[in-house]
Amino acid sequence: MKDKKTYWLTAFRYVVPADYEKWFEELAADGWHPVRVGQWSSIAMRFRKGEPKKYRYVVDMQPAPKKEYKTTYKDFGWEFVGQMASAYVWRREYAGERPESFSDIDSRRGRNRRFIWAVAVSFAAFLICGTGLAGGFIFSGLGDSEKLQMGIFAAICFAAAAALSLVMRKIAKNIDR
Amino acid sequence: MNIDKIKERFIPMSETMFYILLSLCKERHGYGIMQHVRELTRGRVVLGAGTIYQSLQKLEANKLIEPVKEEDRRKYYLITKNGKEILLLEAARIKELYKNLEGLI
Repeated sequence: MKDKKTYWLTAFRYVVPADYEKWFEELAADGWHPVRVGQWSSIAMRFRKGEPKKYRYVVDMQPAPKKEYKTTYKDFGWEFVGQMASAYVWRREYAGERPESFSDIDSRRGRNRRFIWAVAVSFAAFLICGTGLAGGFIFSGLGDSEKLQMGIFAAICFAAAAALSLVMRKIAKNIDR
Repeated sequence: MNIDKIKERFIPMSETMFYILLSLCKERHGYGIMQHVRELTRGRVVLGAGTIYQSLQKLEANKLIEPVKEEDRRKYYLITKNGKEILLLEAARIKELYKNLEGLI
Protein backbone atom coordinates (compact mmCIF):
# COMPACT_ATOMS: atom_id res chain seq x y z
CA MET A 1 0.00 0.00 0.00
CA LYS A 2 1.18 3.49 -0.76
CA ASP A 3 2.32 5.40 2.29
CA LYS A 4 2.73 8.79 0.65
CA LYS A 5 0.36 11.04 -1.22
CA THR A 6 0.20 14.60 -2.45
CA TYR A 7 -2.80 16.89 -2.44
CA TRP A 8 -2.93 19.76 -4.90
CA LEU A 9 -4.21 23.29 -4.42
CA THR A 10 -5.77 22.50 -1.06
CA ALA A 11 -5.77 26.12 0.14
CA PHE A 12 -7.88 27.00 -2.90
CA ARG A 13 -10.28 24.10 -2.47
CA TYR A 14 -11.00 24.62 1.22
CA VAL A 15 -11.20 28.40 1.40
CA VAL A 16 -13.24 28.56 4.60
CA PRO A 17 -10.73 28.14 7.47
CA ALA A 18 -13.07 25.85 9.46
CA ASP A 19 -13.42 23.56 6.41
CA TYR A 20 -9.65 23.42 5.94
CA GLU A 21 -9.25 22.40 9.59
CA LYS A 22 -11.85 19.66 9.25
CA TRP A 23 -10.11 18.34 6.15
CA PHE A 24 -6.78 18.06 8.02
CA GLU A 25 -8.52 16.36 10.94
CA GLU A 26 -10.24 13.75 8.80
CA LEU A 27 -6.94 12.87 7.15
CA ALA A 28 -5.25 12.63 10.56
CA ALA A 29 -7.99 10.30 11.78
CA ASP A 30 -7.05 8.00 8.88
CA GLY A 31 -3.37 8.28 9.77
CA TRP A 32 -2.36 10.82 7.13
CA HIS A 33 -0.13 13.61 8.41
CA PRO A 34 1.49 16.44 6.44
CA VAL A 35 5.22 15.91 5.96
CA ARG A 36 5.88 19.64 6.01
CA VAL A 37 3.72 22.70 5.70
CA GLY A 38 5.58 25.58 4.08
CA GLN A 39 5.38 28.34 1.54
CA TRP A 40 4.37 26.09 -1.38
CA SER A 41 2.03 23.80 0.51
CA SER A 42 -1.00 25.72 -0.69
CA ILE A 43 -0.09 24.38 -4.17
CA ALA A 44 1.14 20.88 -3.24
CA MET A 45 1.04 19.28 0.19
CA ARG A 46 2.68 15.95 0.87
CA PHE A 47 1.26 13.51 3.39
CA ARG A 48 2.75 10.41 4.93
CA LYS A 49 0.83 7.50 6.41
CA GLY A 50 1.33 6.93 10.11
CA GLU A 51 -0.68 6.28 13.23
CA PRO A 52 -4.28 7.54 13.17
CA LYS A 53 -4.50 10.51 15.51
CA LYS A 54 -7.30 12.54 16.99
CA TYR A 55 -5.98 16.00 16.21
CA ARG A 56 -7.61 19.38 16.46
CA TYR A 57 -6.19 21.52 13.64
CA VAL A 58 -6.32 25.31 13.66
CA VAL A 59 -5.67 27.61 10.73
CA ASP A 60 -4.92 31.22 11.66
CA MET A 61 -4.04 34.29 9.61
CA GLN A 62 -1.41 36.58 11.11
CA PRO A 63 0.17 39.05 8.68
CA ALA A 64 2.31 40.64 11.43
CA PRO A 65 2.51 38.34 14.45
CA LYS A 66 4.32 39.60 17.54
CA LYS A 67 7.07 37.45 18.99
CA GLU A 68 4.79 36.21 21.78
CA TYR A 69 2.32 34.80 19.21
CA LYS A 70 3.96 31.39 18.89
CA THR A 71 4.79 31.20 22.60
CA THR A 72 1.13 31.76 23.46
CA TYR A 73 0.03 28.87 21.24
CA LYS A 74 2.79 26.58 22.52
CA ASP A 75 1.95 27.39 26.15
CA PHE A 76 -1.58 26.18 25.44
CA GLY A 77 -0.26 22.89 24.10
CA TRP A 78 -0.46 23.58 20.36
CA GLU A 79 2.13 22.15 18.02
CA PHE A 80 3.29 24.38 15.17
CA VAL A 81 2.75 22.46 11.91
CA GLY A 82 3.92 25.19 9.54
CA GLN A 83 2.96 28.33 7.72
CA MET A 84 1.95 29.24 4.18
CA ALA A 85 2.70 32.95 3.76
CA SER A 86 0.82 34.47 6.70
CA ALA A 87 -1.47 31.47 7.26
CA TYR A 88 -0.37 29.53 10.35
CA VAL A 89 -1.29 25.88 10.89
CA TRP A 90 -1.44 24.47 14.42
CA ARG A 91 -2.57 21.16 15.84
CA ARG A 92 -3.14 19.51 19.18
CA GLU A 93 -3.90 15.92 20.06
CA TYR A 94 -6.91 15.49 22.26
CA ALA A 95 -9.35 13.07 23.82
CA GLY A 96 -12.85 14.11 24.77
CA GLU A 97 -14.01 17.58 23.86
CA ARG A 98 -12.49 19.19 20.75
CA PRO A 99 -10.28 22.05 21.95
CA GLU A 100 -10.80 25.56 20.59
CA SER A 101 -8.21 28.19 19.90
CA PHE A 102 -10.88 30.77 19.20
CA SER A 103 -13.14 30.23 22.14
CA ASP A 104 -15.72 32.94 21.48
CA ILE A 105 -17.61 34.20 18.47
CA ASP A 106 -15.83 37.59 18.39
CA SER A 107 -12.43 36.04 17.98
CA ARG A 108 -13.69 33.48 15.42
CA ARG A 109 -15.08 36.35 13.39
CA GLY A 110 -11.80 38.19 13.87
CA ARG A 111 -9.84 35.25 12.49
CA ASN A 112 -12.15 34.90 9.48
CA ARG A 113 -12.04 38.63 8.84
CA ARG A 114 -8.24 38.50 8.71
CA PHE A 115 -8.55 35.84 5.99
CA ILE A 116 -10.97 38.01 4.03
CA TRP A 117 -8.52 40.93 4.25
CA ALA A 118 -5.66 38.78 3.03
CA VAL A 119 -7.73 37.66 0.02
CA ALA A 120 -8.82 41.27 -0.55
CA VAL A 121 -5.21 42.33 -1.03
CA SER A 122 -4.71 39.83 -3.89
CA PHE A 123 -8.13 40.73 -5.26
CA ALA A 124 -7.12 44.41 -5.44
CA ALA A 125 -3.78 43.53 -7.06
CA PHE A 126 -5.47 41.49 -9.82
CA LEU A 127 -8.05 44.20 -10.36
CA ILE A 128 -5.37 46.89 -10.74
CA CYS A 129 -3.31 44.74 -13.15
CA GLY A 130 -6.41 43.82 -15.12
CA THR A 131 -7.50 47.44 -15.43
CA GLY A 132 -4.02 48.53 -16.53
CA LEU A 133 -3.83 45.80 -19.16
CA ALA A 134 -7.36 46.45 -20.35
CA GLY A 135 -6.46 50.13 -20.70
CA GLY A 136 -3.44 49.13 -22.79
CA PHE A 137 -5.60 46.82 -24.89
CA ILE A 138 -8.11 49.54 -25.69
CA PHE A 139 -6.05 52.74 -25.85
CA SER A 140 -2.44 51.88 -26.64
CA GLY A 141 -1.01 52.39 -30.09
CA LEU A 142 0.68 48.96 -30.13
CA GLY A 143 0.41 46.38 -32.88
CA ASP A 144 -2.45 43.91 -33.03
CA SER A 145 -0.58 40.92 -31.61
CA GLU A 146 0.70 42.92 -28.61
CA LYS A 147 -2.78 44.24 -28.05
CA LEU A 148 -4.20 40.75 -28.20
CA GLN A 149 -1.70 39.58 -25.59
CA MET A 150 -2.65 42.47 -23.33
CA GLY A 151 -6.30 41.62 -23.77
CA ILE A 152 -5.73 37.99 -22.85
CA PHE A 153 -3.74 38.87 -19.73
CA ALA A 154 -6.38 41.43 -18.75
CA ALA A 155 -9.04 38.73 -19.04
CA ILE A 156 -6.96 36.35 -16.89
CA CYS A 157 -6.52 39.05 -14.22
CA PHE A 158 -10.24 39.81 -14.20
CA ALA A 159 -11.09 36.12 -13.98
CA ALA A 160 -8.73 35.73 -11.00
CA ALA A 161 -10.27 38.78 -9.32
CA ALA A 162 -13.75 37.36 -9.90
CA ALA A 163 -12.71 34.01 -8.37
CA LEU A 164 -11.24 35.79 -5.34
CA SER A 165 -14.41 37.80 -4.85
CA LEU A 166 -16.30 34.50 -4.65
CA VAL A 167 -13.78 33.28 -2.06
CA MET A 168 -14.33 36.40 0.05
CA ARG A 169 -18.07 35.92 -0.21
CA LYS A 170 -17.83 32.31 0.89
CA ILE A 171 -15.70 33.15 3.94
CA ALA A 172 -18.06 36.02 4.81
CA LYS A 173 -21.02 33.62 4.67
CA ASN A 174 -19.23 31.36 7.15
CA ILE A 175 -17.92 34.19 9.34
CA ASP A 176 -19.18 32.62 12.62
CA ARG A 177 -17.53 29.23 12.16
CA MET B 1 -7.49 58.26 22.36
CA ASN B 2 -10.16 59.85 24.52
CA ILE B 3 -12.03 57.77 27.03
CA ASP B 4 -15.46 58.30 25.44
CA LYS B 5 -14.30 56.60 22.23
CA ILE B 6 -12.91 53.70 24.26
CA LYS B 7 -16.17 53.41 26.20
CA GLU B 8 -18.09 53.20 22.98
CA ARG B 9 -15.76 50.48 21.74
CA PHE B 10 -15.67 48.32 24.87
CA ILE B 11 -18.95 48.76 26.75
CA PRO B 12 -20.95 46.55 26.96
CA MET B 13 -18.05 44.15 27.12
CA SER B 14 -17.87 40.52 26.06
CA GLU B 15 -17.34 37.97 28.81
CA THR B 16 -13.92 37.20 27.35
CA MET B 17 -12.77 40.83 27.48
CA PHE B 18 -14.20 41.32 30.96
CA TYR B 19 -12.40 38.35 32.44
CA ILE B 20 -9.12 39.17 30.72
CA LEU B 21 -9.23 42.75 31.98
CA LEU B 22 -10.19 41.55 35.46
CA SER B 23 -7.31 39.04 35.48
CA LEU B 24 -4.86 41.79 34.63
CA CYS B 25 -5.47 43.67 37.87
CA LYS B 26 -2.49 41.45 38.69
CA GLU B 27 0.50 40.99 36.40
CA ARG B 28 -0.06 37.92 34.17
CA HIS B 29 0.84 36.41 30.80
CA GLY B 30 -1.50 34.76 28.30
CA TYR B 31 -1.51 31.24 29.68
CA GLY B 32 -1.73 32.55 33.25
CA ILE B 33 -4.87 34.49 32.30
CA MET B 34 -6.52 31.34 30.95
CA GLN B 35 -5.73 29.42 34.16
CA HIS B 36 -7.04 32.25 36.33
CA VAL B 37 -10.29 32.60 34.40
CA ARG B 38 -10.85 28.84 34.34
CA GLU B 39 -10.48 28.81 38.11
CA LEU B 40 -12.73 31.84 38.67
CA THR B 41 -15.53 30.32 36.59
CA ARG B 42 -14.93 26.74 37.79
CA GLY B 43 -14.11 25.53 34.33
CA ARG B 44 -17.03 27.14 32.55
CA VAL B 45 -14.95 29.69 30.63
CA VAL B 46 -11.84 28.19 29.01
CA LEU B 47 -10.19 30.82 26.83
CA GLY B 48 -8.33 29.63 23.74
CA ALA B 49 -4.83 30.66 22.67
CA GLY B 50 -6.04 32.54 19.59
CA THR B 51 -8.73 34.35 21.55
CA ILE B 52 -6.30 35.45 24.25
CA TYR B 53 -3.60 36.58 21.83
CA GLN B 54 -6.11 38.54 19.76
CA SER B 55 -7.81 40.12 22.79
CA LEU B 56 -4.50 41.16 24.36
CA GLN B 57 -3.47 42.81 21.09
CA LYS B 58 -6.72 44.76 21.01
CA LEU B 59 -6.57 45.79 24.68
CA GLU B 60 -2.95 46.88 24.31
CA ALA B 61 -3.65 48.87 21.13
CA ASN B 62 -6.36 50.75 23.01
CA LYS B 63 -4.04 51.25 26.01
CA LEU B 64 -6.32 49.47 28.47
CA ILE B 65 -3.41 47.21 29.40
CA GLU B 66 0.36 47.58 29.10
CA PRO B 67 3.25 45.12 28.95
CA VAL B 68 5.31 45.20 32.13
CA LYS B 69 7.96 42.60 31.46
CA GLU B 70 9.09 39.92 29.06
CA GLU B 71 10.54 36.54 29.93
CA ASP B 72 11.28 33.72 27.46
CA ARG B 73 9.17 35.38 24.73
CA ARG B 74 6.28 35.64 27.16
CA LYS B 75 4.77 39.05 27.66
CA TYR B 76 3.34 39.97 31.06
CA TYR B 77 0.62 42.59 31.15
CA LEU B 78 -1.01 44.84 33.71
CA ILE B 79 -4.18 46.91 33.54
CA THR B 80 -3.70 50.70 32.99
CA LYS B 81 -5.54 53.61 34.59
CA ASN B 82 -7.88 53.83 31.59
CA GLY B 83 -8.35 50.06 31.73
CA LYS B 84 -9.42 50.24 35.35
CA GLU B 85 -11.87 53.03 34.58
CA ILE B 86 -13.47 50.95 31.82
CA LEU B 87 -13.53 47.84 34.01
CA LEU B 88 -15.28 49.73 36.82
CA LEU B 89 -17.84 51.21 34.43
CA GLU B 90 -18.60 47.73 33.12
CA ALA B 91 -18.77 46.36 36.66
CA ALA B 92 -21.31 49.05 37.56
CA ARG B 93 -23.36 48.12 34.51
CA ILE B 94 -23.33 44.44 35.49
CA LYS B 95 -24.30 45.38 39.06
CA GLU B 96 -27.30 47.25 37.71
CA LEU B 97 -28.28 44.22 35.64
CA TYR B 98 -27.97 42.05 38.71
CA LYS B 99 -30.12 44.43 40.77
CA ASN B 100 -32.81 44.43 38.11
CA LEU B 101 -32.78 40.64 37.99
CA GLU B 102 -34.04 40.32 41.55
CA GLY B 103 -37.21 38.34 41.74
CA LEU B 104 -36.63 36.74 38.34
CA ILE B 105 -34.69 33.71 39.60
